[in-house]
Amino acid sequence: MRKILSSLTDGRGFDIGLVAFPLGFLFLMSGLPLLYNVLMSFQEVDMFSLGTLFRPFVGLKNYVALFSQRETWPIFANTAIFVAASIAGQFLIGFGLALFFWTNFPGASWLRGLFLVSWVMPGLVVGAIWNWILSGDFGVLNFFLREAGLISQNIFWRSDPHYSLWAVIIANIWLGTSFNMILLSVGLSGIPKDLYEAAELDGANVWQRFWTITLPMMRSTIGAIVSLGLIFTLQQFDLFAAITAGGPNNSSNVAQYWAWDLSFKQYDFARGATISVIMIIFVMLASLVYVRSTRQEIRG
Amino acid sequence: MSIRNSLMAGALALSCVSGLAMAAHAQEEVTITIWSLDKPEQPAFNLAKEFDEKEPGIKVEYRLIQFDDVVSEAMRAYSTGQAPDIIAIDNPDHALFSSRGAFLDLTDRIAKSEVIKPANYFPGPLNSVTWDGKLFGVPKATNTIALYYNADMFKEKGLDPDKPPQTWAELLDAARKLTDPSKNVYGLAFSAKASEEGTFQFLPWAQMGGGSYQKINTDGAVKALETWKTIMDEKLASPDSLTRGQWDSTGTFNSGNAAMAISGPWELNRMSDEAKFDWRVALLPVPEAGAERSSAMGDFNWAIFSNSKHPDEAFKALEYFASQDDKMFEKYGQLPARSDITLPATGNEKKDAALKVFQEQLQYAKARGPHPEWPKISKAIQDAIQAALTGQMTPKDALDQAAETISAVTG
Repeated sequence: MRKILSSLTDGRGFDIGLVAFPLGFLFLMSGLPLLYNVLMSFQEVDMFSLGTLFRPFVGLKNYVALFSQRETWPIFANTAIFVAASIAGQFLIGFGLALFFWTNFPGASWLRGLFLVSWVMPGLVVGAIWNWILSGDFGVLNFFLREAGLISQNIFWRSDPHYSLWAVIIANIWLGTSFNMILLSVGLSGIPKDLYEAAELDGANVWQRFWTITLPMMRSTIGAIVSLGLIFTLQQFDLFAAITAGGPNNSSNVAQYWAWDLSFKQYDFARGATISVIMIIFVMLASLVYVRSTRQEIRG
Repeated sequence: MSIRNSLMAGALALSCVSGLAMAAHAQEEVTITIWSLDKPEQPAFNLAKEFDEKEPGIKVEYRLIQFDDVVSEAMRAYSTGQAPDIIAIDNPDHALFSSRGAFLDLTDRIAKSEVIKPANYFPGPLNSVTWDGKLFGVPKATNTIALYYNADMFKEKGLDPDKPPQTWAELLDAARKLTDPSKNVYGLAFSAKASEEGTFQFLPWAQMGGGSYQKINTDGAVKALETWKTIMDEKLASPDSLTRGQWDSTGTFNSGNAAMAISGPWELNRMSDEAKFDWRVALLPVPEAGAERSSAMGDFNWAIFSNSKHPDEAFKALEYFASQDDKMFEKYGQLPARSDITLPATGNEKKDAALKVFQEQLQYAKARGPHPEWPKISKAIQDAIQAALTGQMTPKDALDQAAETISAVTG
């Protein structure tokens, strides 16, 4: 007994405890709900059986029913477009800004800090603001585009099924760019300066230096950012709720919003859980990429 | 007789004299809990407080819940045995709980009640608390929609402000004349949003066309959706009607960017403050002259959970709430769900005239459902509206598809 106690304060027991505590916490707070969600997707869930664990088991029925719905494939396609376009936009603009501020002109760090404003704002507030900006009749975006001579007629960003998904993507790119920029800035500042000096002496121009030094040195940072971006964009819910509510006619509906709509608007918890399980698989793949890219970072 | 005995006898006599009030005191105080979304300036919050003060033997605990959480909180609470005694619930959700035995059957209590008399209520609200011929609640308040119009714009465009559009054709006609893109004015503002609001606005049209949620694809309902499509195609209403709720849509009317608006009495106070023109209200236009009227019905109901430990006290509270219905409009600006109450004049001429129209429109208000799977039915209708208005399907096909989905849901 004494041995166990002393090993707790000093020794192996302490190490085990150190690992066990966060593991237990993770299991309790994330693992159990996750398992519960998976379980729910195989059950017949009724709003009044929500509190019980043992419900009729229906096997893959929820999955079959989900994929036989006519809106399923368009919604998954929307999700893919949303994720790909958001990540691409956030990353490219974020990288551009990071490189811009990396030139370290006077006041660069202050300006860079200001960019974080968008990341600090709650999603619903961002959604409400973009709701006004994107409004068809009086929106600021239409005003600028008209003044610039790019459009002759107002674009109804939120209500035209051709644009509605892009309306949310634009808002989401704005929201996520600063986060990308900050992480990429950190990555950039980690590259040793002498590499560039050496390259410059050898006569490498700006582009050659970028392709042969910056990009390869940033590989792990970029991997981490892209996989985090996948997770964050798959989580993005507020903007949909605030800007289009998935409409018109599901043209801007994505899996995460749909899962919420099914569970908490239509009270079809089983189907909501089913979509979540499918999304969990994607997020796990993203996490795998993330873990792999950060592992390299530690070694280096 | 010892001193102690005589004292006891005296005490006994005293308590007999002072009667029931004392007896209640001697009993343990009963606590009932009430959940509602009403804020401190709204009815439920105040009624609960008044009832608490009025009944010495009953303590009332009030909990404010958010609109979006009402149903999910209530379900979770009920399934874990933590449900409150009384809840205020949105009327289309009422059947969900009644049909599963979660709400207490109040039929017998109401039959015996001196205060709550079913005959006093508008048929729509009463229907929303009814399931299987039994009463599972008491309407809390009610509202409906009608046509607001800008009389100044009517005059300007040569329309008679005393003759607002009566039929769908007249509505389209008026909207065409009133739409003025050069001034950023649309003829009409309404909501076709992919949420309960879209269903709320469309269903009356379908019902006037002889449809219902069980038969959403009747010819009349198809004509209703075609009329909506004409409005959108000709840009008589903002394309953003597809993603905008009623409050925001009517906002464009208040600011003079729409000549007519379809909305409810909840706009009256805001409009009185904001609208700087002669606004009036007319009944919702019908398919053709003489056609049957219909309207939407909104607002909340009271219900008692079936696992309440104090159903008698809870019902007493509902009786008290109902007894205060005549002050509902005066104090809180909400319409009581009763036809036997004459609303007091507010002193604001426009508002009083508008209220009369809403009171008349309420006669035709129909509850959504009642059906325990209402949210799914509603979603099918919303999808049909939006598929048709965005031109992805014809109104007929869209409603046929909705009818198919709905019949699968209702079984």
